[in-house]
Amino acid sequence: MLDILLSQVVSGLVLGGLYVLIAIGLSIIFGLLGIVNFAHGSFFTLGAYFALTLFQTFGWPAVIFAPIAVGAVGMVVERVLIRRLYDKEPLLSLITTFALALMIEASVRLIWGGVGQPFSPPKFLAGFQIWGPVLITNYRVAVLATTAAVLIGLWAFLTYTPFGRILRAGSRDPEMVGLLGINLPKVLTWVFGLGCAISGIAGVLAAPLWTVTPAMATNAIMPAFVVVAIGGLGSFPGAVIAGLLVGVVIALTIQFFPEASGAVMYLFMALMLLLRPRGLLGERWERFE
Amino acid sequence: MTVRKPVSAGTGVIVGRRVTLLGAASLAATSTLAMPHIARAAEPIKIGLLLAKTGQIAAQTEYLANGTYLALEERGNKIMGQPAELVWLDEPSPQAATQNMQKLVQENKVCAILGGALSSNALAEEATAAQLKIPFIVDNAAATEITGKNCNRYTFRLNTPVLVQSRMLAPYALNYGKKWYHITASYAFGQDILRSSRELLKQAGGTEVGADEVPLNTPDFSSFILKIRAAKPDVVVGGLSAGDLSTFLKQWNELGMKGKIPFVEIAIGDTDIWAVGPEAATGTFTKMWYYNNPANPPAEKAFAAAYLKKHGRPAADKAWMGWITARSMFESIEAAKSTDPMAIIEALEAWKFQDGPASYAYRKFDHQMLVRNLAVSVKDKITDQWDYFDVKAVLPEKAEDLEKAFGTQEEIGCKMT
Repeated sequence: MLDILLSQVVSGLVLGGLYVLIAIGLSIIFGLLGIVNFAHGSFFTLGAYFALTLFQTFGWPAVIFAPIAVGAVGMVVERVLIRRLYDKEPLLSLITTFALALMIEASVRLIWGGVGQPFSPPKFLAGFQIWGPVLITNYRVAVLATTAAVLIGLWAFLTYTPFGRILRAGSRDPEMVGLLGINLPKVLTWVFGLGCAISGIAGVLAAPLWTVTPAMATNAIMPAFVVVAIGGLGSFPGAVIAGLLVGVVIALTIQFFPEASGAVMYLFMALMLLLRPRGLLGERWERFE
Repeated sequence: MTVRKPVSAGTGVIVGRRVTLLGAASLAATSTLAMPHIARAAEPIKIGLLLAKTGQIAAQTEYLANGTYLALEERGNKIMGQPAELVWLDEPSPQAATQNMQKLVQENKVCAILGGALSSNALAEEATAAQLKIPFIVDNAAATEITGKNCNRYTFRLNTPVLVQSRMLAPYALNYGKKWYHITASYAFGQDILRSSRELLKQAGGTEVGADEVPLNTPDFSSFILKIRAAKPDVVVGGLSAGDLSTFLKQWNELGMKGKIPFVEIAIGDTDIWAVGPEAATGTFTKMWYYNNPANPPAEKAFAAAYLKKHGRPAADKAWMGWITARSMFESIEAAKSTDPMAIIEALEAWKFQDGPASYAYRKFDHQMLVRNLAVSVKDKITDQWDYFDVKAVLPEKAEDLEKAFGTQEEIGCKMT
């Protein structure tokens, strides 16, 4: 029994890793822009479709440009649409980003068609590893490693670079950052692009595992919100811990009570909100009080 | 003082205003009464289409809708010599689907409705069809109850019920062995498959070594696959739908299970397997129609050619399902010479498609269309991006066994009121 449980935990970590990537982008955008982005899952979908097209046209190495393309789309969306929502009623941003999600799904359907697109892991990552009781495919090892690398890189970026410091300061006191002579609107465009690009990375990694369809965002957006709520809105480490926890809890529920595997993360969230309404590592943010 | 002058009616004769108004009113009244066919001709015959426009099932509904529109275009967009049009509304959930059904009837004034892509939606929709007294053909949903215990006079159904398809597939599963593992969706369609398959396995004296009910839109099946791997079944009997089936088969291959444990399932859609890709596709399935089946009758070959010409890709089975359902409805309205609901229902009950060996009709006591299904297996080597299957058999093998395969009225439990 222990061997299957260990395998399930590893399997859950891979799923959780993808959830972390999707949720981190969502959390960053909320933390710095104050926008609850319902369209975030659509950037995940775009990541998968851009990866598919780049792979079909140029081969596997070109796939790394997919998140950059998603980030670029995100920046355009911020300039055209999201910018107009700052300091407006939260309801307005919810409705607008929900409409944006529908529009992106319809555009994907129009460009790539409604039928799912075949997309398998690369040949050089075929096969699997058996480490004692644990079975894991090479592709999933690569997903875990990439997730870890992205998270470490992002943490280092936010902590040690001047731009990262501006982002963190801007998230707490945008007015003060503006008074210091920093062009905050330009910074916010980059932040939105960064959040979308991270979601795009998750889309690229998920494409060979999940079915690539225009509606694939449905499988991504709700877990992302759950992870952010459990981890604490705007908290980077909170999203990482919560994402991995959610993945593992789902995997273990599949082992013992599979019918509940879809609902267990919501139960987990409800419990967390009852016990700690700000989430695991959620802090008090003056600007959102 | 202004003097009002009489108005000229354009004939040089001077007439009074009251006479002019009276004449105009009389002309308007008599033209409507004397030439009703002209008035009707201006108003097209409307048929409702109730199919999902978003979500995982949209990959299938796109083809269902394409087939439906093609059936209307084949008729020059006319029924009974009058212009005809389809009004397509969404079915995002059972509740929203029934609201849209009411809208189709009360606002759009449709005379009949086609649709019902998911069993959970179709079960709610058929009850609403009876309430609204509108002829309704379910084109895709396969839950047994639709034409079983939930049947009603206004609802007809194309897809072969789960129980019947499960009976057709069972011999293929038993060929692999009697230790089965069930992995089914946790909604009406999957639960129906699980119930039917368990019963058939029990009758065959087999053992269920595991069963998982999977929530809709599950993105990661690796944990389920690890359980199946540990249970070591002879065969996995699936009951997943649309995108979930595609995701499962992709991950089944990724985890090295393809070719190790056989996989079987009823009612595969071409769009499901196209999304899997040639490397990962595997399994034996039942399905209603296949575009590359050499035994297709001439009318269906012509439909497949017309679809390819119009859309630039082969007709998936769902396109055929949309096409044949729509044909049955359009031809029945034509035969009824009326848009009266009961006249259409009686015409549907008498409708028959006969082309060579292909013969389809709705059974009168449950309104289920009797169609022989295909048993198909994924080809060993897939060289065409659309052509995944080898047709192994037509089921039931003898046409005269068709009625029996669909069950008797007592077995079905349909009692129409």
